[in-house]
Amino acid sequence: MTEMENIAIADQVDDSSHPNSFLTKYVWSQDHKVIAIQYSITAIAVGLIALVLSGIMRLQLGFPNEFSFIDPSSYLQFVTMHGMIMVIYLLTALLLGGFGNYLIPLMIGARDMVFPYLNMLSYWTYLLSVLVLVSSFFVSGGPTGAGWTLYPPQAILSGTPGADAGILLMLISLAIFIVAFTMGGLNYVSTILQARAKGMTLMRMPLTIWGIFVATILGLLAFPALLVSAIMMIFDKVVGTSFFMPAILSLGETLDHSGGSPILFQHLFWFFGHPEVYIVALPAFGMVSDVIAVHARKNIFGYRMMVWAIVAIGGLSFVVWAHHMYVSGMNPYFGFFFATTTLIIAIPTALKVYNWLLTLWRGNIHLTVPMLFAIGFIFTFTHGGLTGLMLGNVVIDLPLSDTFFVVAHFHMVMGVSPVMVLFAAIYHWFPLLTGRFLNNSLGKFHFWGTFLGTYAIYLPMHYLGFLGVPRRYFAMGETDFIPESAQTLNAGITVSAIIVGLVQLVFIANLIWSTFKGKKSGRNPWQATSLEWQTAQFPPGHGNWGEHVPQVHRWAYDYSVPEVKDDFIPQNISPEEVEYLISDENNSREDK
Amino acid sequence: MMQILKTLRIKPWLPQGQETEPFSVATNKEKAASTALKFFLAVITVIFFLFTVTFLQRTQSYDFQALSGEPWLPFSNASMLWQNSIYLLMASISIILANKSADLQSFKGVVISLTATALFTVLFIGGQVQVWQQLNQSGFYIYANPANSYYFLLTGMHALHIVAGVLVFIRCIWLFSLDLSYQTLASRLKLCARYWHFLLFIWLFLFFLLTGDAQTFKTIALFCGF
Repeated sequence: MTEMENIAIADQVDDSSHPNSFLTKYVWSQDHKVIAIQYSITAIAVGLIALVLSGIMRLQLGFPNEFSFIDPSSYLQFVTMHGMIMVIYLLTALLLGGFGNYLIPLMIGARDMVFPYLNMLSYWTYLLSVLVLVSSFFVSGGPTGAGWTLYPPQAILSGTPGADAGILLMLISLAIFIVAFTMGGLNYVSTILQARAKGMTLMRMPLTIWGIFVATILGLLAFPALLVSAIMMIFDKVVGTSFFMPAILSLGETLDHSGGSPILFQHLFWFFGHPEVYIVALPAFGMVSDVIAVHARKNIFGYRMMVWAIVAIGGLSFVVWAHHMYVSGMNPYFGFFFATTTLIIAIPTALKVYNWLLTLWRGNIHLTVPMLFAIGFIFTFTHGGLTGLMLGNVVIDLPLSDTFFVVAHFHMVMGVSPVMVLFAAIYHWFPLLTGRFLNNSLGKFHFWGTFLGTYAIYLPMHYLGFLGVPRRYFAMGETDFIPESAQTLNAGITVSAIIVGLVQLVFIANLIWSTFKGKKSGRNPWQATSLEWQTAQFPPGHGNWGEHVPQVHRWAYDYSVPEVKDDFIPQNISPEEVEYLISDENNSREDK
Repeated sequence: MMQILKTLRIKPWLPQGQETEPFSVATNKEKAASTALKFFLAVITVIFFLFTVTFLQRTQSYDFQALSGEPWLPFSNASMLWQNSIYLLMASISIILANKSADLQSFKGVVISLTATALFTVLFIGGQVQVWQQLNQSGFYIYANPANSYYFLLTGMHALHIVAGVLVFIRCIWLFSLDLSYQTLASRLKLCARYWHFLLFIWLFLFFLLTGDAQTFKTIALFCGF
């Protein structure tokens, strides 16, 4: 072996990826930090489109038939595009493509991802998938209105909005996204397994990295189910096969399909769909754990349990998928099995919630904006999780399945909660990107507006669900069993939703203003222990670590260690470098 | 497995002993690429596993007509598929030989075996296209029956993975032509070989699966609970 090969890849400087022009530095960049920002900006941009779509939907629900540009078809199209964009193109892309890319090399002490070129390719493929998706707004018939679950047979039959070009573009876009995710995902797992700095054992990794690691494995194994179903549905639509299409009459015409199984699509879709919940949730769990530990100046309670819970949730997430299909007419024993596994997955999840609370307990809590969002997350996640326990039971799910109760549940658990963590993470790591803080007052306004606003939206929505208000309906029409006051509540929800939407504009303005004019943060402003704050250059430059990658001597949670001078010990501080409050004599005794 | 459990039992907050360090840092990119390839093969396995599950379920529907079992069905005589299998097997063997030649730094050996790999792989793809054409000419169109649909779909997906492998293979040769480093070529070909063997295995599995007769499918479906 040559000398070069004996150097850990983390220490090897790859000249080929060293940017030397504007294009290679900011556009065709192979630097994980630039790619992360590209991912984040694209995801947030497309997420804003989805936010506007939700606002339009709420206008129709709150004030039916007041707005001429919303008709039943476009309403369904907005619902579909809102759901798919938020789940896949915003949350998955931002959490893994954005935060995963930015934090993995920095938190494990690597110079970059192990395959920087593949990483760059991943982003551009993701951008292509977004463009293909957005292009469906401009084709004849518009985007698909089949609902984000894209259930056949209706998804590809005439009568459903966007049943021609719209659905095809959606399926092609998903397939491209999965290719992009696979390229990125292979990079994340390989980097975590093979490029950690010396001393960074798996059990010394911050929980953020554990969450991203397990979520990426889930993504790699679950997205194929979506790919398979997308390909088969494209065949059904374009070639005329009958994978999912039964013998069917459409608009009075007998179609050529026969024998296909629409339920099969549901199985495939949810075999992806449920792990997808945890693809989004696990990175959020990891990041919120780190934010809480840093801002409570306390080691995370039950680190090992937190890791085990992440792994257990990841494993269990593959055996609960059919709880999304109780109303499809399944065998009662089948339903019983999935109800049981669903309740079992609540155990490691609840364990995490308890551990976050126990981390806060008697901690030195700093109510910074990231901490506010993190604590807000504990509320919203507990709320959404508990209604999940209710819906996990077949007998409760059946009557509530097609009501606003389910909409409220999954928005609390999968929409609001990860977004609260995303905000916590953005406020927490923004100084690392820019060397500046986000404006504190605007941040607090953003937090309270979002936190209280989302409760104003979703608490009443649960009640509407109990009343039996159905989801996906353009307008209620004449319904005896729903009181008129339900409409008043619906209008109230819409007003809250618009206020929450406007509050997000304050956040965007804060992001832009603070990037250039924000208060300078200085190095390691939160006094965190993890490696990303310990770079030679701040904010970290290309290659992250200057001449040598750091050596890790401890876990990421040495906060408020008794008898130590500072209330935190960074991971790269060796036992000899730790400054103690008491005499040097004691110091050396402690080391022994 | 035991190693994973042992790792997960470590208590990182305690003073560190030998149990937690040193740990393994990859000393070269080959190891990282090997890890990535293992995960990628897992992804492909899941894709074909899911296709297979849906196929087995579909075999039990009323309109499913297996592609072999009766004299007039196309795969009652699967000689074309056997021929294609031999091509892919030869490609797999020649890529091993290419790897060995790179280890021995034999330029001639590398050129001959890489050419053989490329040739047999192209023959395999060509053979598959020929089977598709024959099916079409005999009226076994993709939409005519679920068995046909699955045949085209699964063999098409498999061929697509082969084509992707060929692109990586071409890149290996191109990079070798730039630096003429046998050591790097050998490490790259080792991974290519693993991918080729894997796709050979997938092909043999698909061959068995897609050319089954109705009775075989019934037995498998019964065994799997469909």
